[in-house]
Amino acid sequence: MGAEVRIVRISLWRVALTSHTAYHMSDGKTCDTVDAIVIRLDTDGGPSGWGEVCPIPHYLPAYAGGVAPAVEEMASVLLGADPVGPEAVMARLDAQLPGHRYAKSAIDIALWDLTGQAAGMPLHALLGGRQADDLPLYHSITCVAPDEMARIAREAKAQGIDQFQVKLGADDDWQADVARLRLVREAVGDGPLVFGDWNCGASRLDATRVGRAVADLDIMLEQPCRTLDECAAVRAATGLPMKLDEVAHDTASLLEAHRLGCMDAVAVKLSKFGGLSAARRARDLCLHLGARMCVEDVWGSDIVTAAALHLAAATPPRSVLNVCDLSGYVTPRLDPDGPVRRRGRIDVPGGPGLGVTPDPAVLGDPAAIFD
Amino acid sequence: MRIARVTAWSVALPLSKPYWLSGGRLKFEELDSTFVRVETDDGLAGWGEGCPWGHTYLPAHGAGIRAALEILAPALLGQDPRALDAVNRTMDTALPGHAYAKSALDIACWDILGQAAAMPLYQLLGGDPDPVAVNSSISTGTPDEMIALIREARSKGYRTHSAKIGGAEATTDIARIEAIEAELQPGEQVTYDINRSWTPGIALRVLNGVASTSWVEQPCETIEQCARVAAAVRQPIMLDECLHDFQDHLEAWSRSACAGVKVKPNRLGGLTKARRIRDLGVEVGWQMHIEDTGGSALADTAAIHLAASTPEANRLASWLCQEHLSVDPVPGQGVRTVDGVVTPPSGPGLGVRPDPEGLGRPIAVYGG
Repeated sequence: MGAEVRIVRISLWRVALTSHTAYHMSDGKTCDTVDAIVIRLDTDGGPSGWGEVCPIPHYLPAYAGGVAPAVEEMASVLLGADPVGPEAVMARLDAQLPGHRYAKSAIDIALWDLTGQAAGMPLHALLGGRQADDLPLYHSITCVAPDEMARIAREAKAQGIDQFQVKLGADDDWQADVARLRLVREAVGDGPLVFGDWNCGASRLDATRVGRAVADLDIMLEQPCRTLDECAAVRAATGLPMKLDEVAHDTASLLEAHRLGCMDAVAVKLSKFGGLSAARRARDLCLHLGARMCVEDVWGSDIVTAAALHLAAATPPRSVLNVCDLSGYVTPRLDPDGPVRRRGRIDVPGGPGLGVTPDPAVLGDPAAIFD
Repeated sequence: MRIARVTAWSVALPLSKPYWLSGGRLKFEELDSTFVRVETDDGLAGWGEGCPWGHTYLPAHGAGIRAALEILAPALLGQDPRALDAVNRTMDTALPGHAYAKSALDIACWDILGQAAAMPLYQLLGGDPDPVAVNSSISTGTPDEMIALIREARSKGYRTHSAKIGGAEATTDIARIEAIEAELQPGEQVTYDINRSWTPGIALRVLNGVASTSWVEQPCETIEQCARVAAAVRQPIMLDECLHDFQDHLEAWSRSACAGVKVKPNRLGGLTKARRIRDLGVEVGWQMHIEDTGGSALADTAAIHLAASTPEANRLASWLCQEHLSVDPVPGQGVRTVDGVVTPPSGPGLGVRPDPEGLGRPIAVYGG
């Protein structure tokens, strides 16, 4: 790949991803079959770069249908641009269309893929250098009956998982949430990390009641309420450590969370921040703020899974809380040869760039092409 | 009463003069507006308009409004359009964020509520039909160029000016401010609108280097940066682009980041949310410019209903986008400036009913 490589075509696919088990969260949010948007950037005579974003409906200010119009709005800047050095291209895209980070995330990942291929290096080598051989996974347990959640936890534990995210609030019954946390904690024994996640669905009152009812246990709470201030109040009232997710999505919110003292851990999800470029900046800031990171994306398949794994592998292991094998939660696989869960851990793909080769048969025909 | 059909039109609004955002951001010549008509099963029709100020100004673009309607409009079919809070909850559940895509639908539902109640919107929004002062918009340039524009605006009756300044050179902005202050006549006011283009360091150098105590709007990018500037200067600070939802306004207040805000329905998600923020502003003593991000007299009129119903002590002048367009899709209707002021229509609802024939073919129809 020479110095004068230019982006000549943007192709966009819509791929329905179906969860192996329907996934329930608070406020009726459910992840069953959702659309991922896959993007390929082609260069004139050089390689192609792959990107992906998969918004969960009702979850964040992001939806699959918003990606194509945003990409079209940015196409005039992308076409003809040199993809090597993604931050420079992303700065021009931010000037062309502020916000819409979820749409930019897919583009940014594809730019990194091209940059890695141009360098002949895997992305983790460009994101700071590999610091871990493989990475610890958590398992997310859908919000169903407490007994059933404990059974799922035992099953995952037997397969080597030792971090468990317990989804809370789907039945709006705070005492059931207490049972969920107690039974899962008991099921996995001492040692593993257990964290209860409301996805913004709890009132400050209910989250505090639940937290105080389990305060004798080793439990972390995640994103109980909608706002940072409310989450900080819950942490202060319960004395339990807290992981933030939905409210932490840019530098300003990370700094504010740190100031409020409620960010023991944080989900660094690529599409929430706007891709690998923005997530890398967040990662670097969190290293200084002392927040443990869950490096992943909202949802998706092999492209986002690989991108997040590269960033996590290039992060000091003591700051990595965990990663997620999103591609293992859904079907179809975009790349059947992508990494898989093994004894609760996962490898990073090899080869230059992302190291992902999507299967054309899975993608089908593009939904849009800009050239 | 149920929503039976939602129809959307894409309406290009050419500007009479090309516009450059300060800080060297993109030039644009045309606004990309979306008109929405909401019809009920008992024959009422309400209108709303969503029009971002180009695609480079805020996280908003015209195509994004039309893409979001694919999710929002079907979710609203069958709902009572008069139940504005429920309408907004439905939209927020169906699609978090994307406030700019919701405002046209919200405004159209307000129009229906007003018609059903046989009351003009300003009355439902809480107020008397006070005339609202209109402010000019003075593009950035050399001090002489800006003064020429202020004189031209003055000759048309404007007494409040929004002067666009901002850049990397503190001395350039100091020269602009000093020249404009010397030009102002008794009874005239100016707001210096920086549109986020200063770093905090430049802001402190400029604002502590001039005698002016006129309003300064959106000096820097974030609430945090603006709060640090507000704490160190004499001038009252107005915030605009960094405020998107109620929580942002609470944060701006709790951090003493401003003495006033711009209240723009399209940035906030419609009249329902703009009203909540207006009410908060009245309670905490903010002064507010109430206007929309862009659009024809349709969007202007919705914003002026809210402005006219706001206590005078809390209200500053409103800008009207229609005065910067070379077309008028709703000729003769809605608010129109006379001697530097506007008064909202006193008929039921919004008081603007576009002629669908003049809008061309709808780009989408949802419902039967």
